[in-house]
Amino acid sequence: MEKLYLKVQEKVQVNKDTWLIIFDEDFNFEPGQFIMVETPKLVRKPFVLGRWSDKSSISVQVKGEGTKWIVEESNFLKAHGPLGKPFTKQAGKGLLIASPTCLTLANVIKEIFETDVLIGSRTPLIIDIPYKTAIGNEDFMNSLKNSMGYDWYLVYGSKNMQKTVYDIFKGKKLFFSLEEYMGCGIGACKSCAIETKHGIKHVCTDGPIFAGDELCW
Amino acid sequence: MLVKPPLVLLSGPAGFGEWLELIDKSFIGALTLKTITLNPKEGNKPSRMAEGNNYIINRIGLENPGVLKFLEMLDTFKNLKSKIILSLGGDTVEEYLKIAETIKPYSKEFDAIEFNFSCPNVEKGGLSIVGDLQSWEKIIKTVRKILPDSFLIAKLGIEGIFVENAADILVNNDWNGITLINTVRGLHFENGKIILGGLSGPLLKPIALRAVYEVRKRFSDIFIIASGGIYNSNDAEEFMKVGASAIGIGSALFKSPEIVEEIGKKLMEVERSND
Repeated sequence: MEKLYLKVQEKVQVNKDTWLIIFDEDFNFEPGQFIMVETPKLVRKPFVLGRWSDKSSISVQVKGEGTKWIVEESNFLKAHGPLGKPFTKQAGKGLLIASPTCLTLANVIKEIFETDVLIGSRTPLIIDIPYKTAIGNEDFMNSLKNSMGYDWYLVYGSKNMQKTVYDIFKGKKLFFSLEEYMGCGIGACKSCAIETKHGIKHVCTDGPIFAGDELCW
Repeated sequence: MLVKPPLVLLSGPAGFGEWLELIDKSFIGALTLKTITLNPKEGNKPSRMAEGNNYIINRIGLENPGVLKFLEMLDTFKNLKSKIILSLGGDTVEEYLKIAETIKPYSKEFDAIEFNFSCPNVEKGGLSIVGDLQSWEKIIKTVRKILPDSFLIAKLGIEGIFVENAADILVNNDWNGITLINTVRGLHFENGKIILGGLSGPLLKPIALRAVYEVRKRFSDIFIIASGGIYNSNDAEEFMKVGASAIGIGSALFKSPEIVEEIGKKLMEVERSND
């Protein structure tokens, strides 16, 4: 973990509310790790690290003032990281199921693991991506139901989306990257607690990726 | 207690020293550890934090490993190479006294011991103890007897007692310091759902300034760690003007650990110009 000063090289709009923020350098991180990014808000926000055009990058969905600032105004970001436990190698072939906010991560996962990628977006994508894409709920549900044959699944998305995926693939080897409000990202403040079958755990230091059978659904 | 520069990372946000990987230690006068209680506490159920307009609300609930497990970790804190203030809390008079007894053989390992009398998050917690003045005075008297040589600090909020009256009791019982203020009880709507917790952030600054001002007006010697809405060197200067002995940085760490370096630098400049 270190202090990061990141020059934004390019911003690419992915769909109605999500942008790729591509930095002008490629720094070291492991798949699944994240950074805490400073915005005009009071608390730094976590973003999963990925790569785009061989540069380190994050994907940002505009949800409020802070994310709006990153997308519309920032050309330089202060952050700390990389943080969190990396995703470890799994046997067999996996499927990464993700919202467009994890598009840059897909490139990293693809490089390291034997994986297919399914991107589920509520609104049509503006750019061409090299991955299978499902637009809207019906398309997404159909794509999931046609994806039963994988050895493991790694899921990035909203709580609702994760629950949907869990219900469909219950009993299979599932991993979920969780989001919970984070104060520090480094294990100091204990704000990002989640309830698991083994008691309270923290997304920033025990995760962000958790096995599906460990979580309380 | 010599805190040089007069800057303290506050209990809670400062964790167990995790930030020191990101902050130049020369800017940190002391670090107050997360509050430890007699028994382990799992903390409150999620979610535990949210941000509003100019404030943060939290309901962590004093998650900590309990004093016995904590004592097994003591060497970790020696390696931090920073002055360490221990923070202790409890739910009852008995718990405060028992934890003071438990820690007694190790008291010299810490530069000061802060008793958290104000965490508003725990049912029947610190807040109600200050509200019951007789019980609280008993803790203050007895803890001083149990820990005769320690630099004792009380961390107080603004609810349950006027801070200047609390300071009077502390001074009369030879306590050394007071941390002003802790979070203030608040209620926040997050997506239509009510969150009850403690408020921190810029919103607290004028309240904390007044608390420091009132205590310093009556007691010239008590060591005051100012805490509440300090986000930059101007904030720090204002707190020093009203009588703070040291500047506490808590929730501002979540904005940027660089705030510590900015304020630390300013405080070092002021110290140099006073020498």
